[in-house]
Amino acid sequence: MNVYVCVGSSCHLRGSYKIIELMKENIEKNHLEDKVNLSAAFCLGKCTTGVTIKVDDEVVCGVSPENFSEIFGKYVMEKVQA
Amino acid sequence: MNNLCTDIGFKSVNKKGEQLCGDHIEIVEQNENSLVLVLADGLGSGVKACILSTLTSKIISTMIANNLSVEECVSTIAATLPVCEKRGVAYSTFTIIRITNNSEAEIIQYDNPHVIMLRGGDNYEYPRTSMEIGGKTIYKSKLQLETNDVFIAMSDGAIYAGVGKTLNFGWQRDSIIDFMVGNYDSKMSAKGISQLLLDECNDLYGGEPGDDTTVAAVKIRQRIPVSLMIGPPSNPQDLKKMQTLFFAKEGKHIVCGGTTSKLASEYLGKPVVPCLDYFDPDIPPIAKIEGIDLVTEGVVTMTKVLEYADSYLNGSISISDLSMKKDGASRIAQMLFEEATDISFYVGRAVNPAHQNPALPINFNVKMQLIDEVSKKLKAMGKNISVSYF
Repeated sequence: MNVYVCVGSSCHLRGSYKIIELMKENIEKNHLEDKVNLSAAFCLGKCTTGVTIKVDDEVVCGVSPENFSEIFGKYVMEKVQA
Repeated sequence: MNNLCTDIGFKSVNKKGEQLCGDHIEIVEQNENSLVLVLADGLGSGVKACILSTLTSKIISTMIANNLSVEECVSTIAATLPVCEKRGVAYSTFTIIRITNNSEAEIIQYDNPHVIMLRGGDNYEYPRTSMEIGGKTIYKSKLQLETNDVFIAMSDGAIYAGVGKTLNFGWQRDSIIDFMVGNYDSKMSAKGISQLLLDECNDLYGGEPGDDTTVAAVKIRQRIPVSLMIGPPSNPQDLKKMQTLFFAKEGKHIVCGGTTSKLASEYLGKPVVPCLDYFDPDIPPIAKIEGIDLVTEGVVTMTKVLEYADSYLNGSISISDLSMKKDGASRIAQMLFEEATDISFYVGRAVNPAHQNPALPINFNVKMQLIDEVSKKLKAMGKNISVSYF
């Protein structure tokens, strides 16, 4: 599975750094290093609703530290386990 | 016209307890390729010395730049300088370095430590002829320039550094030559060279200089063009033109901005590969595109570059500080502040709808001002700047 975190200007200002850190942490915690390929992406074109991430071909907007675990569970954990 | 250019850097420290420097440097740029630099050291220190050296350097640089002879300069100074009440003389030493068409240097020296010249990193003893003007012995030299020639002019505070403190007799010109040859790095800018020597002098003085000390370095370097593209054009039809002009430019290329790099990757037919590493949480990661030397995010990174430019100009950070960092802004800063001699900006004026959000500290005007400000700072560093808008 490929996960991209947008690091364009808008998303950066809305906290991409934090989201990448959370991603790394959670991937490690759940031992998904072999299954999830995390990378950065330049602007994903959803600037007004960042932080934007892309899970394979699905774009997920509005990711924040508050809703992170919910989003990680729904878009990453469930799909990896499916 | 050749492909050489002149890089100048100078710095002074004042005698301990003095607020004014008794040394003065004046530079007159006659055109892009010719200039006159004068370093004058006024008798004594403080206000008196400051006035003497300022007058001397101002008069000489203006006269030499207008092709008047050294004889005339000297007699004008002798007739103009106020005579010191205590000492009964009007006196200021001077060193003149004149670069013509970036191909010939003329050095005229009166009573300052002789200019040190490095060629290919080694000491080069250039020919000097002496002449008498109004009872003063003046040394004149003329030589053809080569790439990486370095001229180091200094006031006598430099050779007396450490007298009675760390060294018995100060360090002589020969020791300075050894020091400069030993620390020579062909990539070092004139500013870096003058800073290096002055810091060493200041250290020898134990941070309490016994005399005003000034070092000026002139470095002859190969022109290194760097082009930087930021933002898509306001009219999408101009995209092709903008990109063609940008990529046709010789030298290094920097692309800033998410959309801009995406467009550049389409133009080159190579993918954008963003890096995940946040070297500095404040600065977005860089990316890689084959064929482009550096790809970064746009406005946040440029804001940081402007900050670095300020700190670099006021001396609070140095190139070696920047070269230890790996974030996008530090990388741009290194390429623009140190390597580049000629910088072309290609600025797209498209408005990014995402930036027009009052919650974000970036908007279109900020972006345009940013480039203006950065170019001003780069000009202050002695770079040739051109900006084209699309």
